[in-house]
Amino acid sequence: MNAQDAVLETGYQSGIPPVNYLNIKTTLASWLLTKDHKRIALMYLVSVSVFFMIGGLFAATIRLELLTPASDLLETGTYNKVFTEHGIMMIFFFLIPSIPAVLGNFLIPIMIGAKDLALPRINLISLYIYWFAGALALYGLMVGGVDTGWTFYTPYSTTFSNTYVMIVGLAIFINGFSSILTGLNFIVTIHTMRAPGMTWFRLPLFVWAHYAVSLVMILGTPVVAITVLLLAIERVSRVGIFDPSIGGDPILFQHLFWFYSHPAVYIMVLPGMGVVSELISNFSRKKIFGYEFIAFSSIAIAVFGFLVWGHHLFVSGQSPYAGMVFSFLTMVVAVPSAIKMFNWTATLYKGSVSFDTPMLYGLGFMGLFLIGGLTGLFLGSMGLDVHLTDTYFVVAHFHYVMVGGQVIAYLGGIHYWWPKMTGRMYSEFWGKISAMLVFVGFNLTFFPQFLLGYMGMPRRYAAYPPEFQVLNIFSTAGASVLGIGMLMPVIYLVHSLKFGKPAGDNPWMLPGLEWRTTSPPPLENFATPPVVTWEAYEFGEGSGLDLEEARRRAAAPAIL
Amino acid sequence: MAEHHHENDHEHIAIPGYLGVFAVLIVGTILTYFVATIDLDWIFPGANTLVALLIAFTKMACVMLFFMHVRWSPRLIWLAVAASFFWLAIMFAYVMQDYLTRSTGVFTQ
Amino acid sequence: MSTHGHSDKFVYHEPGLQHQFSDMEQQEESVSIGMWMFLVQEIMFFGGLFTAYLVFRSKYPMAFAAGSNHLDAFWGGLNTIVLIVSSLTMALTVYYAQKGNRNLQVIFIILTMLFGATFLGVKAIEYNDKYHHGLVPIAGLNLRAKGTAGAEQHPEGKPCWEVAGHSAEPAAEHQYVNPKGEFEWADCSLAKLAQDEGYLTTAEQIGYFSNGELDGNKFRDKVRIFYYLYFVMTGLHALHMIVGLLLMTWLLWTAYKGYYNADYYMPVEMSGLYWHFVDIVWIFLFPLLYLLGRHFLHAGH
Repeated sequence: MNAQDAVLETGYQSGIPPVNYLNIKTTLASWLLTKDHKRIALMYLVSVSVFFMIGGLFAATIRLELLTPASDLLETGTYNKVFTEHGIMMIFFFLIPSIPAVLGNFLIPIMIGAKDLALPRINLISLYIYWFAGALALYGLMVGGVDTGWTFYTPYSTTFSNTYVMIVGLAIFINGFSSILTGLNFIVTIHTMRAPGMTWFRLPLFVWAHYAVSLVMILGTPVVAITVLLLAIERVSRVGIFDPSIGGDPILFQHLFWFYSHPAVYIMVLPGMGVVSELISNFSRKKIFGYEFIAFSSIAIAVFGFLVWGHHLFVSGQSPYAGMVFSFLTMVVAVPSAIKMFNWTATLYKGSVSFDTPMLYGLGFMGLFLIGGLTGLFLGSMGLDVHLTDTYFVVAHFHYVMVGGQVIAYLGGIHYWWPKMTGRMYSEFWGKISAMLVFVGFNLTFFPQFLLGYMGMPRRYAAYPPEFQVLNIFSTAGASVLGIGMLMPVIYLVHSLKFGKPAGDNPWMLPGLEWRTTSPPPLENFATPPVVTWEAYEFGEGSGLDLEEARRRAAAPAIL
Repeated sequence: MAEHHHENDHEHIAIPGYLGVFAVLIVGTILTYFVATIDLDWIFPGANTLVALLIAFTKMACVMLFFMHVRWSPRLIWLAVAASFFWLAIMFAYVMQDYLTRSTGVFTQ
Repeated sequence: MSTHGHSDKFVYHEPGLQHQFSDMEQQEESVSIGMWMFLVQEIMFFGGLFTAYLVFRSKYPMAFAAGSNHLDAFWGGLNTIVLIVSSLTMALTVYYAQKGNRNLQVIFIILTMLFGATFLGVKAIEYNDKYHHGLVPIAGLNLRAKGTAGAEQHPEGKPCWEVAGHSAEPAAEHQYVNPKGEFEWADCSLAKLAQDEGYLTTAEQIGYFSNGELDGNKFRDKVRIFYYLYFVMTGLHALHMIVGLLLMTWLLWTAYKGYYNADYYMPVEMSGLYWHFVDIVWIFLFPLLYLLGRHFLHAGH
């Protein structure tokens, strides 16, 4: 038996296996033409990080401009472009792909005990489409950008805007197909590729969350695709159904746009909730409370998320009766999210909680998503929304759920599964420091914005009344702290690639299926295809995890 | 050696069956063409549209069930088909609930 | 590249079985669910257009009826029959692929492609007709025809509901004049009919009138919306048809090489699903676009 087989035979082992998915082939072609879901996930990781940084630069520009009441750093026209581009980069090219395309792609086959996704070539095509769309969007930004807001409302975007709506709109249209193909792949994989013994109710909640997300991707994304297409046709041909002067209706654009874009926010946050379920359960060393409730609430959020889009149209001219229906349903859609929060809290109770970096992010999510979610209910009440809409209250709300929720969950997931993906442990000390910087910086940035919005500061304005300046300065100061907190992981994570301690298969002694293969995993994920005989989050005797042996062999993770 | 894994899905429907479905589709097309010329609005406004849609749904059902083999497909496929119609219905209904309840409404005179 | 744990062991892989699957049944199940998920998203894609159609038809039914009456239901009906026949030949292609009959597979694929191409040919005829009659809703994209001096589209002074019957065709003695290639529509008789009989919708009561008078220009704008939706919906459908023909070309080549038999015919079945989906979209487009106003024409008006 050769060394390679010997290494693979032993299953558990300490350190990094000499042959794994990272080093099995190292040519450029073996990366760019790969069908391996793990390599595709890493390429997505690099790409979304690039877009995140570009979006972050736009955010920095916004906060710098808003230090002073006058529009002195940027002209208003330029400011319009900056916040539009911040939104487009962050939403379409970072938030929507981040957890599914990076963590989902990497982990779903491993978590279900499969060799790869069901349709690896579709996975690769999805990546190519994402790159092409991203390049096109960047090109559009470089030649002059768009100033319509990421929401592209008509008739400004169709008739009056003099910016590059077509190019950026086309980029978003193309990017939609990347999302659709990823979702399609996940649904097929989860249905057909589960290992023997891996029943639906033994799946990790991360997988349930991604199944729900994939449903939303498939059902919602095509609608925004056709909407952007109609927008493009109307812009080019100067006639269309959104043009009020010929009897068209601009509000129809808003209906069709938000039919996708509201479920899109659930595309962004549901995977984050899936990550948090993993973090809370595993770092409390306790089976998650209410597994079925969390699983079904993911599906419920996906379904109900399609029924509430009109809450973005309360003041648009939509009928108030329709508004009432949407307002009521908005209250209803909060319930499954609340169920999750209660279940996570109950999981913590009497658990053996360890405050490793990923857990800090998980706990941060719970607190920040709570605030974001509750303020969403304020905005969902039609009467209150009349006062709060288009103010900084809305901006603060969605940043709490998107950044305080999704980005923090994403960072938590990256840190949690970093040892699995790379075989290395990062510095726990710097991890904790940056988690705390992110938490403090985030709250300092966005909490003042609730106050600003309530007091009446409008969103998307470069200039504001001088009495709002103090809170804006707090917000910009917080943004600097947040920026540092987010840059630090880039440094210490990259540093760990070369200098980090080898993690071993299971640095935290956890029962999940992904921790029962080497770190990094072999090309086909498992030395021998697994047969699952234990329940999800099984920390007791039934998990089949030989803790003594694992402890003996595994390298201890670095703690401070 | 190649296994036959298709014991139960060979020849869902033979040639006569396909021709029968085809005949239904052609009849449906001719029917919808001629019914459209008859004014049915004395029954209730929109009756013509309703009849046309009923015929179209029947034709679609024939194509889906027999040509696309949905009749013999696993329940997951049935669920996918049902879900897509349900989602279309959500989109139509919730958009129209706005337009129908505006003061410049559609059915109010 | 294989690192199956004991990679030296010979493992029989059926031809066409991809490495991530453990057996053909799993591959077929996966491909089938994958294709149906794709069709689900296609349904939602067209659904956005049907929503727009629903909104504007319920707002301006008379304008839609008028516009629809000028579409030639003969060509539309013919196209419907053509597509249904092509669906039959597609279904038979799958049937013969399953039976492993290479020659009949190839024949039926060719027939399917022939009917698909016929569909596109008829569409080209229709679009060309619209081009010649000033019915392309985009200004400048209609046939530009400068008239001789003094020729007019319509006699002056006639209100828009007394113009040349139910069609937009100018009466024989008038020349088609459209120097800028604008959208041309002059006949608002259906609006007048609805006004007289009292079944204009509220949106129409505002949308067709200026200063209490029926305004031909405003009516024309609503008809323009109909033609916009007509071109976008049938155009997107035709685009899908072209993709279908490309798919059929690939299928023809592989079927000719004899790839498909009782054990491996999923690509044919999946291509068939796509083709039938395109047919179903047309089954709805035909009555909704071509037939919606016919009963006004024939009910003695």
